[in-house]
Amino acid sequence: MANYHPADELLMQFAAGQLTNALGIQTACHLESCSQCLKKVFIYEQLGGDLIDISSPVEVDTEAKSKLLQTLHAKRAAGELRTSNIEPIETLDPVFRQQLDQADQRLPKPLRRFIPTHYEHLPWSGLSKNIQSYDLPFSDEQYTARFYKIAAGKELPQHTHRGNEFTLVMSGSFSDLSGDYHPGDFVLANTSTHHQPKAHDKEDCICFAVMDAPLKMTGFFGRLLNPFLK
Amino acid sequence: MTQGTQTNAQYLNNLVLNIAQQDEQAYLELFDACASRLKAYAIKCGSSPSDAEDLLQDCMLTVWNKAPQFKPATASAMTWMYTIIRNRRIDILRKEKPNLIQSFDLWPEDDIEQISSIDFVSSRLDDDVEGDLNARLVRILIESLPEEQRQIIYKVYFEGKSHSEIALDLGLPLGTIKSRLRLAMKKLDNLAKEQMTWLIIILLTNF
Repeated sequence: MANYHPADELLMQFAAGQLTNALGIQTACHLESCSQCLKKVFIYEQLGGDLIDISSPVEVDTEAKSKLLQTLHAKRAAGELRTSNIEPIETLDPVFRQQLDQADQRLPKPLRRFIPTHYEHLPWSGLSKNIQSYDLPFSDEQYTARFYKIAAGKELPQHTHRGNEFTLVMSGSFSDLSGDYHPGDFVLANTSTHHQPKAHDKEDCICFAVMDAPLKMTGFFGRLLNPFLK
Repeated sequence: MTQGTQTNAQYLNNLVLNIAQQDEQAYLELFDACASRLKAYAIKCGSSPSDAEDLLQDCMLTVWNKAPQFKPATASAMTWMYTIIRNRRIDILRKEKPNLIQSFDLWPEDDIEQISSIDFVSSRLDDDVEGDLNARLVRILIESLPEEQRQIIYKVYFEGKSHSEIALDLGLPLGTIKSRLRLAMKKLDNLAKEQMTWLIIILLTNF
């Protein structure tokens, strides 16, 4: 069970369906292992339903209802819509279904389609063996999404951030002055965070990071490293 | 007010349960009861009137397909339809863009069921009691929020605006927006706790 969670505002934006790709997937990954936040999302979805309920009605096209019934009949006849009482019909694109089925089932579901293999086989890149990264294919205009891997027992140079950086621990664990972070933990670092994360000794720590600005290293070694971290 | 809300929520729940049994009459009734407000949602989210009609059709067809998955113990019919139209809106918007994320990536369905069966105190309750209680409490909450807080919540839900965009829209400092939203969220949080307390009280008095 996670000890660090997304802010309520973020959960509300998620429930409103208004998060961009990277932050949306990241939040969904946290929710998979956090029933506490999932309950909040349910409450916010309920709020969404109520907002619809209390909104003033808009006039609907007079043909809409008969058109709907026509489409319903046509699609049921064509087997594109449910014709039994029990099972909903599979509407997921077969390509997506295949991607999901073939993915590494240890990954959180929301990520599975986007990671062709398990961590060990990812084409990690980076300057040093201590920290490597892998760019995720769903960055958006607002945020960059990427995995970081900190080698077991290694410490990153002290750094701060130019903007927000949301981190979700995937495997292993790390700590900084503010705490110990384990899989499922969701941590936000921003311009006022100065930290020096260190991976725990036993295994590499892999994090899913979503950031709106590149890292800015502050220490001497940080300055040297920074250009390579992008 | 509360009496009316209860009856209406139950009425909608029953319609969807009947649609699961392929009841076309219930389906048309649900359309009559909800279409104008579902369309209103689409328009508030920025759809043109004709796109809003398309989204409405799409949403209603999905309602037919997914009706067997509807569980009044987990969410009221209105909440359930909200999640459907929200997801369909996302998928339709992204159909036209080379955008990878689909709603099923964000809301894998079987997980929700898993959590709700294991974890919810409410799932042990009688459907009707619980559904009504939820509807009543959240409704009271929204109605009790000051206009200024409600306005911000609307902008988050419908316009997907960030805090700084909302600040710009309303001509208010960012700090004010943040503190108003925080106040609204706090009330919601308290409500959630209160709701749990109520559920436990009902649970205890029922057995």
